[in-house]
Amino acid sequence: MSETYASGGQEGKKAGGVILMISSSVAALLLLAALIYATGTGQRHETALAAAGCEPSLSPSGLPCTTVQMLESQYMAVVTPASQQLNADVAAYTESETHNLAAAEAALTAEAATEHAFDAALAGITFPPAIAATAKALIRANQALASLTAEQARSSTLTQLRSFNDRVQADSTAVQSKMTLILTAVHSPSPRS
Amino acid sequence: MTASPAGRLTAEAPAANDYQPVPDAPPAGKRPVDGHRPRERAAKSRLDAWMEVDFKFGGSRIKRKAVALILLGAPAVTPLFFMLPALITLNSNTFSVSVDDTLGTGAELCLFLCLLVTPMSLLTGQHWFVPLRRWYGIMMACCAIGDATAAGITDDFAGGVFGRLAGHTFTLVGFLMVMLVIPLLLTGNPWAQRKLGRYWKRLHRLIYVIWALLAAHLMLLEGLGFQRGTDGSGFAGDGDPAFHQRFYQYSACSLFLLTLRLPPVKRWIVARQKEGRNWLVWVTIAPLFALFLFGFFFILNEEIFKGIGSFTEHPSAE
Repeated sequence: MSETYASGGQEGKKAGGVILMISSSVAALLLLAALIYATGTGQRHETALAAAGCEPSLSPSGLPCTTVQMLESQYMAVVTPASQQLNADVAAYTESETHNLAAAEAALTAEAATEHAFDAALAGITFPPAIAATAKALIRANQALASLTAEQARSSTLTQLRSFNDRVQADSTAVQSKMTLILTAVHSPSPRS
Repeated sequence: MTASPAGRLTAEAPAANDYQPVPDAPPAGKRPVDGHRPRERAAKSRLDAWMEVDFKFGGSRIKRKAVALILLGAPAVTPLFFMLPALITLNSNTFSVSVDDTLGTGAELCLFLCLLVTPMSLLTGQHWFVPLRRWYGIMMACCAIGDATAAGITDDFAGGVFGRLAGHTFTLVGFLMVMLVIPLLLTGNPWAQRKLGRYWKRLHRLIYVIWALLAAHLMLLEGLGFQRGTDGSGFAGDGDPAFHQRFYQYSACSLFLLTLRLPPVKRWIVARQKEGRNWLVWVTIAPLFALFLFGFFFILNEEIFKGIGSFTEHPSAE
């Protein structure tokens, strides 16, 4: 091995050491910063909860409180897919209500199933007391709507089927208004209970 | 082309060609033939040899290495396992809410584990766990493809399947990553390795492109900030949103993995090991490794939290 090559190799090895030292120093500084940051966790937690509003002992992640964001995300995780499914079911019903009894009934059965699933999922959310009553009212209204939809699905003629439309529409409006109420309540930070 | 573990997914060469394990441990009390070999390297090689030993289990003989590899490899299936109930019950809600977090994060974890094998082999001088690189790569590909498939079907974005997969810049980058991972998955086997010859290694260097694209994907997804509701994902409620920022987690893990791949660094490490100063290597890389573990822990935390939500079909949209 020539001397030049050997010295080049030494420099190469030194460069590796320098790179490693710099990277390690950066890593050490980042770890130190993380440790310093971590010491403020409790205080930031309190501040975040105070700013967002919360309810004690409702957290799915072991936190002492459920914040507005957490409640909202839970609620939306239930509402969004259910709404999508219902829209699809309603579209299928609208398409067949005038000429295809079997298809319309199938769409209504699917709609009732979606409504029941929505009720069950909604019942799984622990709402703060201020919203719990509205949530219960929503579940009741939706159960009524589901029963009516199931009854409509048992119609023997298209005329009988369509005769339910106005009542279903009224029940749907009632459900919708309660959903709006809950969403507004979830969005509005409330004082800590 | 050097002899390498057949069929591994990534293109990485063995840690260093001059760093292969000795075939057998030297007899007790006898000096190794390679007199200048540091004591520590010889000891590590003994572990490789120990792993090759069979033991009797029931009516058959099993290598210790096989058991160790199964134990270390099994957790990589967990992300897919988390989504299994939702798949069986066809629960579109769970898929639309948390498949990205469960399978996407799972793919990220598998990628980091896959990329961790080479540095660990370099640092420890052991090679018995190298087959895990292929396994973690395969699981990374499965999670990524599963994530993209579910997102294409269940996401809320407009524009049909293609719109859901590539309608936003971050989803486009994610889609590109999945497209790149497919050839790696298809050629991650001994047959493809033989057929492709020297091109196999070049092809599998795509893993580094995927690694870089992941940075872009996470940056586009969450930005560089960490306050939820503004420009980041970190949930402010638990008091440490910075630790939940995915790009920060990625960077913490990648710094170690990238540094240990730089040729001058590898040369420096091998030189220190040859001098018998492996302790110096460990002391020097300790902060990097600690930062890696720190980032990895928070990714794992995310995976477990979201994964359990998916498994119980009560997905968290946080």
